[in-house]
Amino acid sequence: MTTVLAADGLTKSFDDLVAVNGVSFEIAEGETFGLLGPNGAGKTTSISMVAGLLEPDSGSVHVAGTPIRTNSTAGRADIGLVPQEVAIYPDLTATENLKFFGRLYEMNGAELDTRVAEVLDVIGLGDRKDDLVKEFSGGMQRRLNIGIGLLHRPRLLILDEPTVGVDPQSRNAILESVEELSAQGIAVLYTTHYMEEAERLCDRVAIIDEGVIQAEGTRRELVSLVGQKDRISVTSSGELGDVAKIAAGLPGVTDASASDQGIEVLTDDAATLLPALMSCFASEGATITAVQIFEPNLEAVFLHLTGKALRD
Amino acid sequence: MSAATRIAGKDLKLRLRDRSAFILGVVTPLALSYIFYLVFGNAFVSESLDVEIGLVDLDNTEISQSLGEVLGAIEDQGIIGVTTFDDAGSAEAGVEDGEIGAFILLGAGLGDAALAGSPFTIEVVGDIDSPTTTQIADSIASEFGSGIGRAQLSVSTAIGLGEGPPPAEVVNWGSEAAQRPGAFTFVDVSAETRQLDASTFFAAGMAVFFLFFTVQFGVIGLLEEEQNGTLSRLLAAPIGRTSVVAGKGIISFALGIISMTVLIVATHFLMEARWGPPLGVALLVVTGVLSACAIMGLIASFAKTPEGAGNLGAIVAVVLGMLGGTFFPIGQGNAFLSRLTLLTPHAWFMRGLSDISGGADWTAALPAAAALLLFSVVFGSVAWVLLQRRLTR
Repeated sequence: MTTVLAADGLTKSFDDLVAVNGVSFEIAEGETFGLLGPNGAGKTTSISMVAGLLEPDSGSVHVAGTPIRTNSTAGRADIGLVPQEVAIYPDLTATENLKFFGRLYEMNGAELDTRVAEVLDVIGLGDRKDDLVKEFSGGMQRRLNIGIGLLHRPRLLILDEPTVGVDPQSRNAILESVEELSAQGIAVLYTTHYMEEAERLCDRVAIIDEGVIQAEGTRRELVSLVGQKDRISVTSSGELGDVAKIAAGLPGVTDASASDQGIEVLTDDAATLLPALMSCFASEGATITAVQIFEPNLEAVFLHLTGKALRD
Repeated sequence: MSAATRIAGKDLKLRLRDRSAFILGVVTPLALSYIFYLVFGNAFVSESLDVEIGLVDLDNTEISQSLGEVLGAIEDQGIIGVTTFDDAGSAEAGVEDGEIGAFILLGAGLGDAALAGSPFTIEVVGDIDSPTTTQIADSIASEFGSGIGRAQLSVSTAIGLGEGPPPAEVVNWGSEAAQRPGAFTFVDVSAETRQLDASTFFAAGMAVFFLFFTVQFGVIGLLEEEQNGTLSRLLAAPIGRTSVVAGKGIISFALGIISMTVLIVATHFLMEARWGPPLGVALLVVTGVLSACAIMGLIASFAKTPEGAGNLGAIVAVVLGMLGGTFFPIGQGNAFLSRLTLLTPHAWFMRGLSDISGGADWTAALPAAAALLLFSVVFGSVAWVLLQRRLTR
C-alpha cells in the first residue's frame, strides 16, 4: 500500500521540556494508526508537527511525498485536521462553517455546495444545516468538527482525541465515521487515551509516553511483546476435570484448569482454539452454559511498558 | 478572493451578528457626542465662534478712528463682528440684548491726551456671560492703548532732543503706532489652539475615542481564534500565515472605516457637525483608522488572552483619548500639555480636522495625516512582526 504519511525522528522541546523525542512512524493508505498515551505524553505535539502547525527541532514529515513545513503551504491540502477543541464558529451556521473552511481550500461554487451537502449527510447534520452552531449539542458540534476536517477530501485525516467529552451515542457515531473513512482509503492518524477506541479503530498502534514511542505494532504484536495470553472461560457442568486435561493437550494451549463452575484456558489465540475446545466438552458430555473470551488489552500493555495506567 | 479577505469577510459577518461592534463603534459615540454637545456645547466652544464687539467713539479724532479701522480689518477676516454705537447707553443696551458681547468705549479727549503725552482711558464693557468676547475686546483695546503709548514715547524722546516734529506728523505717528497690530496674534491662531465648533468637536472626539475600541474587535479576533482552537485550523489550511494576520488587519480597518463613516454622516445630519472638505476628512479618517489598527495590533501581540488584550487596549484607548483631547482640549493654554498631546493619534486627528474646518482646502490636512501615517508605520511594523512571530512556534 502507498505510504501517505512518513514522520521521521520528530523532536520538539519547549524550553527545558522535551515534549517529543525522536518519534517516527508511517501510515499507509486506508490504514488507521493510533497514538495511544496519557495526557501530556506528546500526542498533540506530535500531530501538531505532522499538520505543519509546529516546526520540529529536528526530524521531518512527508505527506504523500511532500515535506510539511510551517513556513510553506505545500502538502497542506492533503491533510485534514480535527483539533482536540471544537474548532468551529458558534455564531455561524453549520453550512457557513463548512463553506468558510472549504473556501480556504480553494473549493468554490457548485463543487463546494455539493461537497458541503455530502459532508452534512455523513455527519448527520443535514436537517440542522442552517442553524447556528451555538444551538447544537456537544456531540453535534463534535461531528461538525470532524466534518470540517473531511470537507476537502484529504488523503490524511488527523483526529486529536475527537471523542473527549462526548456522550456515548455521539461517540459511537464518530467511531463509525472513522471506520467508514478508513474503508474509503483515507489514512487516519488517531490520538486517544481511550484504550477501547484504539483497539476498535486502529490497524496499528504506537504507545507513546513522555514524548517517546515505547512500542508500535498491531494489537496482537503489542500483546505478544509483553507475553500476554488470551483467556477463555467456559461455564459448564459435568466431568470438568477430564475436559481440562484434554484441553491442556490442544495446540496453542499453555494452561487449562477446572473449577466447580467450569474451566479456564490460556492460549495464544482464542479464536483459533475455540472450535477444538468446544469439541472437548461435547466428547465428554459436558453441558456448556456460557463462554467468555478475555483478550489481553492495550491497557495491560501500556501498564507493562510504562509502569502506569493510561488515565494517570 | 484572497484568504485574507475571506477571513475578514467571515469576521465581519460574526461582528455584525454579535452587534457589539455596532454598539461600541456607532451607537455609543453618537449618543455620547450628542449628550456632551447638549451639556457642554455652549460652555467653551460656541461662544468663541460668535464674537460680536461694539465700538463707541466719543473722541472722533484721527487717532480714535484708527481703532475702528483695526476692528474693521479683523472683521473682514471673519473673526469678529463689529457694531458701531453713537453713545455708551445704546452700546450697553446692545450688550443687555445680546446683540454684542462687549464694547470698547473711546472717551472724548483721547486724541488730545495722546498727542499731549497725557494719560488717557479706554474702557471695555463686557457681558458676564460672554467672557471670551470680553477678553478679546480687552486685548484689542490694550494693544491699541499700547500702540498710542509707544507713539507718545517716541514723540517725547524726539522733543527731548530738541527736534520736535510738527503736530500733523505726530498725529500720523500715533495713528501708525496704534494700527501696528503687533499683539493681534489671535487672528492667526496656531493649530494647537485652533478650535472646532462644539458639535464637530464632540462628534470627532467621540468618534476617534471609540475608534480605538472598535478596531480592537478585529485584532483581538486573532487571540479569540487562538483561544477557541480555530486558529490551528486556519494555520493547517493551505494559506500563508500572513493571510491570517492580514485578515485580522483588514477587518479592523473595515470596522474602523464603517464606524467613522456612519458617525460622520450621522453627526452631520443630526448635530450639524461641520467636518470640512470630504477629501481632507477622508484622508484623516483613513490614516487615523490605520494608526488605531497599528496601536491595537501591537497590544494584541503582547497580550496572552483576548480578555487581557481587551483590558489593556481599553486602558491605552482611554489614556490616549484623554491626553489627545477628545473630551476637552487639554492642550490649550499649556505649552507642555500641548506638546504632550502630539504623542497621541487622537490629537493629530483633531488637529487635522481643525486645520480644514475653517474653510481651508483638503491639503491643510496633510501634516496631520502624515503624522498619523507615521504612527501607523511605526506601530504597525512592530505589531506585524510580533504577530507573525506569535503564529510561528
